[in-house]
Amino acid sequence: MTSSTLRVSHVTKRYGKGITEINAVRDVSLSVAPGEIVLIMGPSGSGKTTLLSMLGAILKPTEGEIRLNGDVISAFAEDHLPEIRLRQFGFIFQDFNLLSALTILENVAIVAELAGMKRNFARKKGIDLLNGLGLGERLYFHPRKLSGGEKQRVAIARALINDPALILADEPTANLDSKIGHEIMKLLRNIAKEQNRSVIIVSHDQRIKDIADRILWLEDGQFKEMMSMAIDPICGMSVEREKAPATLEHEGATYYFCAKGCRDEFADNLKKNGVVGSMIF
Amino acid sequence: MIRLAFHNLFQNKIRFIISVGGVALAMTLILSLDAVFTGVERQITAYIDNSGADIFVSQKSVRNMHMTTSSMSRSVITDVEEIPGIEKVTPILYLTNMVVSGKERNLAYIIGLPENAPMGGPWKLFEGRSYPRTGETIIDRNIAQKSKIGIGDDVEILGRKFKVVGLSEETTNLVNSVAFISISDFIKLWGNSNSISYLLIKINPEKSSSDIAAQIEANVKNVTAQVTADFSSQERRVVKDMSTEVITMMNFIGFLIGLAVMALTVYTSTLAHRSEYGVLKALGAHNKHLYQTVISYSLLSVLIGLALGIMITFLLSIILTYLRLNLTLAISGVSLLKVSSASLVIAAISAILPIKQIAGLDPAMVFRGK
Ligand SMILES: Nc1ncnc2c1ncn2[C@@H]1O[C@H](COP(=O)(O)OP(=O)(O)OP(=O)(O)O)[C@@H](O)[C@H]1O
Ligand SMILES: [Mg+2]
Repeated sequence: MTSSTLRVSHVTKRYGKGITEINAVRDVSLSVAPGEIVLIMGPSGSGKTTLLSMLGAILKPTEGEIRLNGDVISAFAEDHLPEIRLRQFGFIFQDFNLLSALTILENVAIVAELAGMKRNFARKKGIDLLNGLGLGERLYFHPRKLSGGEKQRVAIARALINDPALILADEPTANLDSKIGHEIMKLLRNIAKEQNRSVIIVSHDQRIKDIADRILWLEDGQFKEMMSMAIDPICGMSVEREKAPATLEHEGATYYFCAKGCRDEFADNLKKNGVVGSMIF
Repeated sequence: MIRLAFHNLFQNKIRFIISVGGVALAMTLILSLDAVFTGVERQITAYIDNSGADIFVSQKSVRNMHMTTSSMSRSVITDVEEIPGIEKVTPILYLTNMVVSGKERNLAYIIGLPENAPMGGPWKLFEGRSYPRTGETIIDRNIAQKSKIGIGDDVEILGRKFKVVGLSEETTNLVNSVAFISISDFIKLWGNSNSISYLLIKINPEKSSSDIAAQIEANVKNVTAQVTADFSSQERRVVKDMSTEVITMMNFIGFLIGLAVMALTVYTSTLAHRSEYGVLKALGAHNKHLYQTVISYSLLSVLIGLALGIMITFLLSIILTYLRLNLTLAISGVSLLKVSSASLVIAAISAILPIKQIAGLDPAMVFRGK
């Protein structure tokens, strides 16, 4: 069983210099406990991917420090980082990023082989993992023959094969339909809980909120209090409660809207069929 | 990682065919050109190598046959025969001239052979008799075929008619063939009865031919005596001198073709898999792992191309013997070694640019959708 703590303190990332300088992440601090599942949400361009890349030792922070089990990995030399990524982190991507020339078993096993595992063991472990993820019948398929959900399960197997302390996922459900996306995230949650691995997910997807232990809201490169955020029931956008351009009280609940148009539509729906909103979260 | 290279290689069939085909073509070019000249070298010394002689004696300072004349006094024959350890001495007359049949004129070594000569005659007969009597000749089978003549037909040599009584094999090369007539006819046509061209010498097998050659030079005036292997290698040098520049140039062209094709395909393959290399980097692959893939990729395609090139050349050489052209391909070990090392150099150079590409890949691109 792995149990590691990730501690992020006062991390900032700036891209570019001078007038083109962008503060993608500003002074972010965060701590992830072993086995914890953290969901980072936020509008497009808010710095989610940048933050995740820094957590995964893919990108170096401009300022601040990232510690994994006490090691300051943000200070490690560049050529030390692949090793850290290989052994400590599992990555899951929006567009799966499987290697097209390899079978799914090889896609999974190759990562273990990179970490120095003998081919036979790597394959055996890959087979076990893929079996566990319900892909036992597909071991020798090439990725192009799999559905999106199957591909993402292969990616999960690949992320798990080196027994990482942390699994980092960027928009893992963006290319999946909502039902499959939710199922896959539940699967990931179960595995993480069973094996006490931490998971950090970056996503826009409101439907996977229920699998997270904790949800963080990143906006403009900074965490905002989640409590102050509400979701517009019509368009699904998140809005700050205090600054919401429109609100509506109904049966003791307050609804927040991104614009007056959304509130009017909501009110219309209420009048017509007494249903609250067109989206249910 | 090597397996990844393997899979990448076979994934895109067209690229695979182009890269392997290109290398195969280039290597075939280098190999077959070498083989042509090796073949010519072998053919050109065929008469010497198959003469049956241990030692060749020639006019002083004359060291080969091609484009030379050798003339010694007949008294040399008895002088040489006196040297102990020598078993047989066959004098021959030789010059280069035409075998004419109608409009067909073919350059040939004309060999004047004594009656019942134990050496220096045709060594492989296709048809007919192997020794010419007065007014008779033995010519090469391919030349006869080309001139559409056969046994019993006439040809003109040194301005006189000869009746073809035998057809020999292995007696043509790119430049000329060998025709045998009797030494008495040769003398008549030449008008010089006191002269011979070469002495072919068979020695006692217990003795060393180089010792006896040295003894001949020491005891007989105005002659050069060489063991057959030396005489033959002198003859080969004539071909080498003519061909080296052509070979070097064509080799270089072949090398460039192979290099261009390989460098391009390895490069495009790497570009095509660029994002995948980025993914591997993000997952934790070291640059050296990825370099391994690229190098294996280029090595694999080059080696497959090389193997194919060698096969094609062998096939060509077999086909050529069936076609009975004056051309044979002889693939030498040296030339195999040369193309193999050329292939390795090609593989190495082809990998340089892609490796630079990979080194510059930012693993952070995986999250940016390439
Ligand atoms: N390599 C880079 N160079 C310059 N600017 C960058 C770079 N990567 C990201 N940015 C900028 O940093 C900011 C944060 O980008 P990031 O990709 O982290 O946002 P995000 O929250 O993941 O957005 P999305 O939800 O659309 O994926 C954006 O303004 C982006 O344009
Ligand atoms: Mg992003």
